[in-house]
Amino acid sequence: MVPTQTLRKHPPLQENLLLILHELQNGSGRNYLTEEDLQAVAEYLNITRAAVYGVATYYSMLSVKPRGRHVIRLCKSPVCDMMGAPGVTRILEELLGVAVGETTPDGVFTLEESACLGRCDSAVSMMIDGQYYGALDAPALARIIGRFRRG
Amino acid sequence: MSTGKRSTVHIDGREISALEGSNLLQVARENGIDIPGLCYHKRLSPTGACRLCVTRIEGRPGLVMACTVAVREGLRVTAFDDELEEARRHTLDYLLAEHDDDYDGTWRDELRELTDRYGLTDPAARRYPNICREIGYHADESSPVLTYDAAKCIKCFRCIKACEEIQGKSVLSFSERGIASHIIAGFDRWEESECDGCGECVQLCPTGALVEKPHRATIRLDRLERKVISTCPYCGVGCQIELNVQEGRIVRVNGVEDFSPNYGRLCVKGRFGCDFVAHPARLTTPLVRRQGELVPVSWDEALTLIAERFGAIRDGHGPDALAGYASAKCTNEDNYLFQKFVRRVFGTNNLDYCTRLCHASTVTAMLRSIGDGAGTNSIEDFARTDCLFVTGNNMIETHPVTATYVKAGVRTGMKLIVCDPKWTPLVKHAHIWLQPRLGTDVALLNGMIRQIFEEDLVDRQFVDERIQGGQDALRELRLQVEAYTPEVVETITTVPADLLVEAARTYARAPTAMIATGMGMSQQVTGTNNVFALINMMLITGQIGRERCGIDPPRGQNNVQGATDVGCSPRLFPGYIPVTDEANRTRMAALWGVSGEVLPADPGLSTVEIMHAAHEGRVRGLYIMGENPMVTDPDLNHTRESLERLDFLVVQDIFETETTRYAHVVLPAASFAEKEGTFVNSDRRVLRVRKAVESPGEAREDWRILVELAERMGAPIGQYESAREIFEEIARAAPMLGGISYGRIETEGIQWPCPAADHPGTATLFLERFNTPDGRAILNPVDHVEPGERSSERFPFILNSGRLLYQYHSATMSRRNNSLNSFVNESYVLMNPLDARRQELSDGERVRLYNGRGELTTTLRASKEVAPGELFMPWHFSESPVNNLTRGELDPLSRIAPFKLSACAVERVSTHTVRGQ
Ligand code: SF4
Ligand code: SF4
Ligand code: FES
Ligand code: FES
Repeated sequence: MVPTQTLRKHPPLQENLLLILHELQNGSGRNYLTEEDLQAVAEYLNITRAAVYGVATYYSMLSVKPRGRHVIRLCKSPVCDMMGAPGVTRILEELLGVAVGETTPDGVFTLEESACLGRCDSAVSMMIDGQYYGALDAPALARIIGRFRRG
Repeated sequence: MSTGKRSTVHIDGREISALEGSNLLQVARENGIDIPGLCYHKRLSPTGACRLCVTRIEGRPGLVMACTVAVREGLRVTAFDDELEEARRHTLDYLLAEHDDDYDGTWRDELRELTDRYGLTDPAARRYPNICREIGYHADESSPVLTYDAAKCIKCFRCIKACEEIQGKSVLSFSERGIASHIIAGFDRWEESECDGCGECVQLCPTGALVEKPHRATIRLDRLERKVISTCPYCGVGCQIELNVQEGRIVRVNGVEDFSPNYGRLCVKGRFGCDFVAHPARLTTPLVRRQGELVPVSWDEALTLIAERFGAIRDGHGPDALAGYASAKCTNEDNYLFQKFVRRVFGTNNLDYCTRLCHASTVTAMLRSIGDGAGTNSIEDFARTDCLFVTGNNMIETHPVTATYVKAGVRTGMKLIVCDPKWTPLVKHAHIWLQPRLGTDVALLNGMIRQIFEEDLVDRQFVDERIQGGQDALRELRLQVEAYTPEVVETITTVPADLLVEAARTYARAPTAMIATGMGMSQQVTGTNNVFALINMMLITGQIGRERCGIDPPRGQNNVQGATDVGCSPRLFPGYIPVTDEANRTRMAALWGVSGEVLPADPGLSTVEIMHAAHEGRVRGLYIMGENPMVTDPDLNHTRESLERLDFLVVQDIFETETTRYAHVVLPAASFAEKEGTFVNSDRRVLRVRKAVESPGEAREDWRILVELAERMGAPIGQYESAREIFEEIARAAPMLGGISYGRIETEGIQWPCPAADHPGTATLFLERFNTPDGRAILNPVDHVEPGERSSERFPFILNSGRLLYQYHSATMSRRNNSLNSFVNESYVLMNPLDARRQELSDGERVRLYNGRGELTTTLRASKEVAPGELFMPWHFSESPVNNLTRGELDPLSRIAPFKLSACAVERVSTHTVRGQ
C-alpha cells in the first residue's frame, strides 16, 4: 500500500523528509520503512532515492530493515557499558535466540543497540517501543521479555 | 563569488595577484604552490572535509583550511612549514588506517600520490595500524559501468557533489553513521538507482573507490600508449574527450577539464560509448555484390567499378540522375569534399543528408526570419539566462551535457518552462510544464503571443528598431492571433488557460530569456510554421539580440551543424550562399580551378525527394556516405522500394547497416577515432577531431576515398596531403569560417562567424543586426491547422517517436557498446495506463502496431509519460522500425517529414502468432 494519506498531510518540501519518514514508520504498524514507502516519499518530494535512503539509514530511530513488532534498544554508551551492558546483551541474545541487529523468526522482537538513552542513573538501561527499563539483570530481563511474549 | 576585482595575497612570502573572492587553495595551486588536499576540486563547492589543506593565516587563530578561504586583499598565508607538514602527515596517517591500500593500476589515485609524498607508503612508517580488514567494508558492483568500494572511500563527498552540482542529478547520498558510513545510490543498489552512468563521479573520485568497469581487466595506466584529445562522435554538444589508448585500442574516455563546451562533463555515451571503434564487425575491405552476395574485393576493383557505373549513369541520363547523401557523422573535411565531389564530379546539386529529417524546418524558419539557422547562444548561457523555454526537446536524454547547464541555472534561480506532449525528465526541474496535444504547437504559441499583447508585454522599442515593418508588422501579427484566446487554445491544445497565461508572462517579463527548440517542433508537417510562431513570440518580446537571449536548436548529431556549414545542401554552397548566386558560383569555380559553367546552378533534390525520385526512376545512382536511410527515413517500405529500383547504390560506412543490404558496392570508412578533422557543435564551435588509433583492415578516411574516386572519374577535386589542407580551403570557401585554422583551435574551439584571423569568434549572434538583407528581423504570422493525420476508429492512436539517452540515432554505433546496451537494448511503446486498461493490454506484453503504411511489433509499457490517445516509441531499434508507420508527406516549406505524428492501431500479438513467426 502506498502511504498517500500520510504524505499528503505535509507539503512536498524536502525539509519535511524526516517528519514524513517518522510518521510513516510509526503509523504503519510495521516498525520499519519498506522500499515502497521510501519510493513513495522520493516521488512525493521529487528527490532521488538515495536522498531518502541516506536519511532513513542515518537516524537510528528509523530502519529500512524489517523489524519485529517490538524493538528493543539496548544502551551501548560508556556508563551502561561499564555497568555491564555486554553481559546484558549476551543474556538478551540468549533469551531471544538472535544477535544484535536481528529480528526473531516469529517477528515479535528486534534487538538493537543505541546511543546513550539519558538514563545513566539506572544503568544498564534499555528501551522497548518508547518505554524505558533500567537496572537490568537476568531475572528482570526474563520477566520483561516474558510479559511481552504473553501480551 | 568573484567580484572581478584583483587583489594581492602573500603565500609563503610570494606576492600573488588573484581575483578577489576566488578560492585560496585553487589560487595557490595555479601558482605552483602545491598545497595538498583531497576533498577540494576546482569544479565543486569546497567541502572542508579532509583537513589536508591546512595553512596558517595571519590574524586568524589556529590552522585554517585553505579550501574554505576566499581571497581578499592583503591576505598573508603560510602554506608550508614543519608544523603544517606534520599536521598533514598525521591527518593522512589517520585516514590511511581505515583505508584499503590495494592498488591494481587501473585508476589515478591522488591519495596514493600523497601517501608517497608524505613518506607513508611503507606501513611501518605509519603511526596507526590498519583496521580496514576488521571493518568489513561494503562494495556495490551492481552498476553496469562502475564499481564502488567503500574500503577505498575517504568520504570526501566529491562524488556526491559531482553528481549534484555538476550533473544536476543528486543520485548519490551518504548512508549510515560512523565507520560504516558509505556512499549510496538508490536504496544502496546502484543498478536500481536513478544513476544514468555518466561517470562524472568516477572522474572526480580521488581514490579507487569509484572506478569504471569496462576494460578494468586489461587497462593498466602505466601501459597507456597515448592520450588523445578529440570530440565526442555522438550528439551535437561536441564534448571534448580524452581517448586513452593501450595496445592500439581505446580503453578509457575522460572528459577534458577546463575547456568549453563541456568543462570535463560527459554523458554515458561519450564516456562509455567508444567501444564500437574496435568492434569485430567493422568493415575492413571494400565489398561488391555478386549473385546477390557482398564479396570482398580490392580497393582498385571497387573504385574502378564505381567510376564506371556512376560515369555511365551521368553520361547516359545526365548529372541529375545521380545524387549523394552526405553525413552528419563525418568531419567537415569529409563533407566539404563530398559536396565538392557531387557538384564537380556528378555535376548536380542533388545533395543532402539527415539534417532534412531533423531541423530543416527550424533552419528554414530561422533563415527566413532572422537570417541564420544556427543557435544564437553559447552553451554556458543555458545556465545564465533568466528564463528558458524548452519546447519539443527532451534535452536530458538528447543533449545531456547541455541539460547540466540548464539544471545548474534552475538551481540559481532561472525559470524553466517545458513544453512537450510527453513527460520528459526535464519536467522534474521545470516551473511550468505545458502539455499540448500532438500537432497543436502553433495554437499554443499564438495563444501565448495574444496574451503578451493583452498584457502589453511587447517590447515596442525593439519592434521599432529591429523588426521589418515595425508597428505595421506588429499589427498584422496581432490580427492573426486575435482568435487565440486562452479558452480557445485550451480547447485545441488541452493546456489549461491559466498555465498558458503564466507561461506567457514568465517568458515575456524575464530580463533575459532563451528558447531551446527540438525535433518535437520541427518534425511535423507544420514544422516551419511551428518555429515561425516561436520566433514571432521571441521577436515581439525582444528576447533576442542581446546576450543570454535568443533561440537555440540543439543539433542532434555531432556534425549536423558543420555538414551544412560546409555546403552539403541542395540549395546552399559552403557558408550558406545560395547555389543560385552567380557571383559566388564564379568564385567557387575559381577556388576549385574549374570554369563557372561546370557548377550546377539549379537547386537540387532534398533527402526524401531523392528517394521519391529514385522511386520514379529519375535518380538512378546514389552515393551514401555514413547515413542509414533504411532506419532514418520516413515510410520505410517506400524507401526500400526506392533503393531497390536504383541502378547503382554505393554505401560508405564503418559497419554493415540496414542500408548496405541494398548496396551494389560497400566501402569501408575510418571512424572518428581514426582520422584528423573538425566537427562544428550546436553553439557553432569548430572543434578538433584527432586520430587516436589505426583503422581496421583497409578502411580509409572518407575524404581520401572521394579524392581517389574523383580522379578515376576524370574530374579531380584536388590533391591534399592532410585534413588540415582541406580545412584551409574550407576557410576560403565559407566566409564565416575564414578566420579559423587548425593552429587557432589547437586547444579550444572557436565559434563562427569568425571572418578574420584576428577575430575572436562570436559567442552571441545578432547583437547588432540580423543576417537579413536590411539587418532587421521578419515576423511571419501563421495559423493553426488541424493535423492532416488524425486518429480514427480504425487507427485510434497517435504515435510519437524520439530518442533515448543510451542509444543513438540508427544505433549503428551505440548498439555496438556493451555498456550502453546493458542500460537499454530493446524497443518498446509507451501507452497511457488508462488506454492500456481499455484495450485490455498489460505492461510487458508483445503488441503489434499497424496502419495503412506498415506494421511492427514491440513491447508495451503502460506509462503516464504519455497522454491518453498518444503513444511514444524510441526509434533506434531496427527490429521494430517506427518508420514503417510514418508518412512521407512533407512540410511544404522545408521538406521535412512528420516523424512525430502518425495514426495507428495497437493489438496484442497472440501467442499463436508469435509461434507462427
Ligand atoms: S555516474 Fe553520473 S549519474 Fe551516476 S552516480 Fe555518478 S555522477 Fe551520478
Ligand atoms: S567515492 Fe571517491 S569521491 Fe566519493 S566520497 Fe568516496 S573517495 Fe570521495
Ligand atoms: S550510558 Fe546508558 S543510559 Fe546513559
Ligand atoms: S581540500 Fe581542503 S579540507 Fe579537503
